[in-house]
Amino acid sequence: MTAPPIRATYSLVDHHGTPVTEGSYAGRWQLVQFGFTACKVVCPRALAKLGAALDALERTSGPTPLVPLYVSVDPERDTPDVLAAFLAASHPRFTGLTGTPEQVDDAKRAFRVFARRRDTPDGYEVPHTAITYLLDAAGRPAHHWPDHATAETIADDLRRLLAG
Amino acid sequence: MTTTTLDADQLGHLRHWDNLSRRLPHDWSGMQGRGLGEDDFGSYRFQLAYMVYGLALTHRHRLPAAPGVFRPTIERLITKLLEPDVWMYWRDVSRGGSVFNAHLSDRLHEEWDPVVRDNIMYSAYVQSCALLHDQLFADDRYAEPGSLSFRHWSFFWGGQEKVFAYDRDTLNDHLYWQMVENGYVGVACEPNCVFQICNQPAILGFRLHDLITGGNRAEEVVAGYERVWADFGRLDERGHYAMMVSEDSRAVRGNDALSPWVDAWCGALMSMWNREFVREHYPRQVADFLVPGPDGTLSVRSAPAMQVMGQTVVSDTCDTGWVAAWASEMGDRATLDGLLAHADRFMGPKRVDGGLHYPRNDTPTDADGHRTLIEPMTGNVLLGYARLNVADGLWGLYNRPWDAAHHAEPALVEVERDVEVSRAEVVDGVLHARLRRDRTVPGGGTVTLDRLAPGTRLRLDGQEVTGRRDGDALVVEVPDGPAVDLVAAP
Repeated sequence: MTAPPIRATYSLVDHHGTPVTEGSYAGRWQLVQFGFTACKVVCPRALAKLGAALDALERTSGPTPLVPLYVSVDPERDTPDVLAAFLAASHPRFTGLTGTPEQVDDAKRAFRVFARRRDTPDGYEVPHTAITYLLDAAGRPAHHWPDHATAETIADDLRRLLAG
Repeated sequence: MTTTTLDADQLGHLRHWDNLSRRLPHDWSGMQGRGLGEDDFGSYRFQLAYMVYGLALTHRHRLPAAPGVFRPTIERLITKLLEPDVWMYWRDVSRGGSVFNAHLSDRLHEEWDPVVRDNIMYSAYVQSCALLHDQLFADDRYAEPGSLSFRHWSFFWGGQEKVFAYDRDTLNDHLYWQMVENGYVGVACEPNCVFQICNQPAILGFRLHDLITGGNRAEEVVAGYERVWADFGRLDERGHYAMMVSEDSRAVRGNDALSPWVDAWCGALMSMWNREFVREHYPRQVADFLVPGPDGTLSVRSAPAMQVMGQTVVSDTCDTGWVAAWASEMGDRATLDGLLAHADRFMGPKRVDGGLHYPRNDTPTDADGHRTLIEPMTGNVLLGYARLNVADGLWGLYNRPWDAAHHAEPALVEVERDVEVSRAEVVDGVLHARLRRDRTVPGGGTVTLDRLAPGTRLRLDGQEVTGRRDGDALVVEVPDGPAVDLVAAP
């Protein structure tokens, strides 16, 4: 397994409104997924899959030093409050991160994430790449999974990676 | 396996490619096209890469037990692909400034590294050719750090040597992350210009790398590519392939001029992972490009040359060659035969040092209106590619790769330059080869057989021969005269 060639730095706020950087979670691994709360297909599927992977991991390994993060690529709509409500309702494991458009753009560049607003008859959507990233306990890139990776694969990889 | 024996024309193309691969550095005679510099569709990079592709297809589908015929030629061609003559155009083209992208030139800088950003029209060929070599020959030659290095130093200008060192893994990784960053729409050729065509070789590269490493990047990239291009429309309003999309505006440029090369090149390649789609649209598309001629011959009509800024654009469209390659991949034998018959009759085939090619001719037609114009990319490479390919040839490379068992079978692992191999396959554990000594070219006149089962006996035209032992291998001398059949049976 090779670490993805990304900078993996960010300066955002979490869904409680607290400023955070990649250093804020020192000592814990970070599972990072980019998306937006109005996403109809990709994000619900990805978040549900990651939830299932984390459930499987906990069943075999118990509590793990890992924080799941959901980074919005739609900061204009996804305020901390919106993120908090969305995650509390469906994906309570996750901490939501957002920021100013500039902060989010910086984070996207640092993770080499593609996201681009597109107008639709109903308003707009933000098509984005749905790669899941893993940062180690020091905040360094450790691994990534493409969108089609299964929950089982992710759980197996996490088990191996977190065990060192 | 169906017995395959190459005919004289097919052998002639292989010989021509081998001859070109042996040219001295910077000798590109017979390979220069009509277009200026290396900016164009007939550039050295394309000629070199599609010779490699053609050799790979021939090895995979026609002479599977003769790696010794193909491997050295492919390696020499890849060495040429890395020469600065082939990639130095990027130092200028990287700055943008093409006619429809003039707005970019203020924010782009001169880029010497030819694969670090954009330029998938070069980088994907280095990636896929290196991976074809390593996957087909079960070898790690291009996994060696620095094995794919781009170097430039001149006594006369340019300062310190410039070295950009990659290998099959780092280059594949680099292209993959560019795909990710672009949302899988593809990587640009010239800045801002994402062509469907030039991202297909990268997909082939990802697939080959997956086969070697056990990864699944091709699946990921194809899924993303499918989603994005479904939005843009893979076909334009008239049912021809969308040529490109601009990265910044997301404006799609269709095949507005009805240029045969746009459909043919894209279709010939995309078929490897999207066969049903390509085949569905092929008959209607190709019909727009074909011109019937005498005695069942077929030629390709090119679109009129573009008029831009008061200039006539002079470029190598390679229309004839790409339509032939497309027809070969589609298994459209009638069209392919018609095109090859036209080329043989009206495009001046020539044999030099045993090699068959169709020399460049800039004259559009003969006195009777039959197309005679042919570019080096078509005459050196693509007509040979089409003649040597089989139906679903690239599709087979992509979807039916050899496994470890193939690489354990008996094979001709070394073939001297003066030995012509027209058959080489293993049937029920027995190696069958057809060999001819060609005294018109230099060489030692031998073939080397390896991976033979203990107790294997050799026969040349039915007569038992012992060969000369060389470690585990056996070296067999090919006699003068007509072709002989070699059988190696346990």
